[in-house]
Amino acid sequence: MGETMQALSSKPPAPAEPKLAVRELVMTRRTASGETVTATDRLTFDVATGEFVCLLGPSGSGKTLLLNVLAGLEAPTSGEALLDGRPISGPGPDRVVLFQEPSLFPWLSVRGNIELALELVGFAASERRAAADRWLARVHLAGWGDAQPHELSAGMRQRVALARALAADPDVLLCDEPFGALDALARELLQRELQGVWLGSEGTKTLLFVTHNVREAALLADRVLVMSAAPGRLLEEFRIHAPRPRSLDDVLVARVVSEIHDLLMREVDASVAREMAR
Amino acid sequence: MTLETASPYLDRVASGVVDTSRSQADDQLAELSLTEEEKLVLARVADILRKIQFGTVVLVVQDGKVVQVEMAEKFRLR
Repeated sequence: MGETMQALSSKPPAPAEPKLAVRELVMTRRTASGETVTATDRLTFDVATGEFVCLLGPSGSGKTLLLNVLAGLEAPTSGEALLDGRPISGPGPDRVVLFQEPSLFPWLSVRGNIELALELVGFAASERRAAADRWLARVHLAGWGDAQPHELSAGMRQRVALARALAADPDVLLCDEPFGALDALARELLQRELQGVWLGSEGTKTLLFVTHNVREAALLADRVLVMSAAPGRLLEEFRIHAPRPRSLDDVLVARVVSEIHDLLMREVDASVAREMAR
Repeated sequence: MTLETASPYLDRVASGVVDTSRSQADDQLAELSLTEEEKLVLARVADILRKIQFGTVVLVVQDGKVVQVEMAEKFRLR
């Protein structure tokens, strides 16, 4: 009975000060015809330190814009985005973004890409090579250090990008559909690796993970935030207390997946109806 | 009082047909004579039920024992 029901005792840490906070965030963007469209509409949510939150929504719900604001790449139209209670004013080494397209430097070797990240966070020159190779081994790319990015497949390049993001050891990892373009097997491998690093950090790493893959969200997240179609608002929140690694066959995961899936289908249908009525 | 007309059960309580000192649930529980382990599981489930309004609770059983309680709570945000 000792280990019984441990799933529920592993609650996220007490919400002292959220790591990330989004307050009444509005983002607008201009269309080709010069119209101003609201992309996200008064979004408010927190992400606690050490929490793994997935943001899920139909395309056009402003997920990427939101992530850009948190990364410090764009300023909100109104409202605010806070990191440790302070407004985010620009990018920083404490927040690493993992994009859908692995943005590797094509003129650097695979190892060189990771060494650069290590250099930026202040790793001593003498330790960089060994550390880079350790990270490459973790994403099953040992022996590929001297290759140029263009020699690798898309999945392998994304693995390098993941290794580079993790090597920088950021407090906050912002992921923008990082595994969206990968085949199912490669995705599973990288999900496992990402989850392993997050679990290994024992509540110090905070993850905000944007995806449109319902199953990915239910497998990985402590909390899934479901957004509406444009303009993006928060529709529902799912708090999942189940041990990891989870499987799609788990009753709870399967149920959450089908509930979120139905919710999204209803939302997409409703948004189509809204468009037709205009 | 409108209360009495609101619930046939309360009507029966008022007329003394139902003995409220000992409910049907109490009788069923007594009949089960729960083990300590079972009580702990049920207490945990009750604890969850008091906290959530919408969601799913799953008991994972292995070899006749509850080894895990999982839950997913759902909040409607608008």
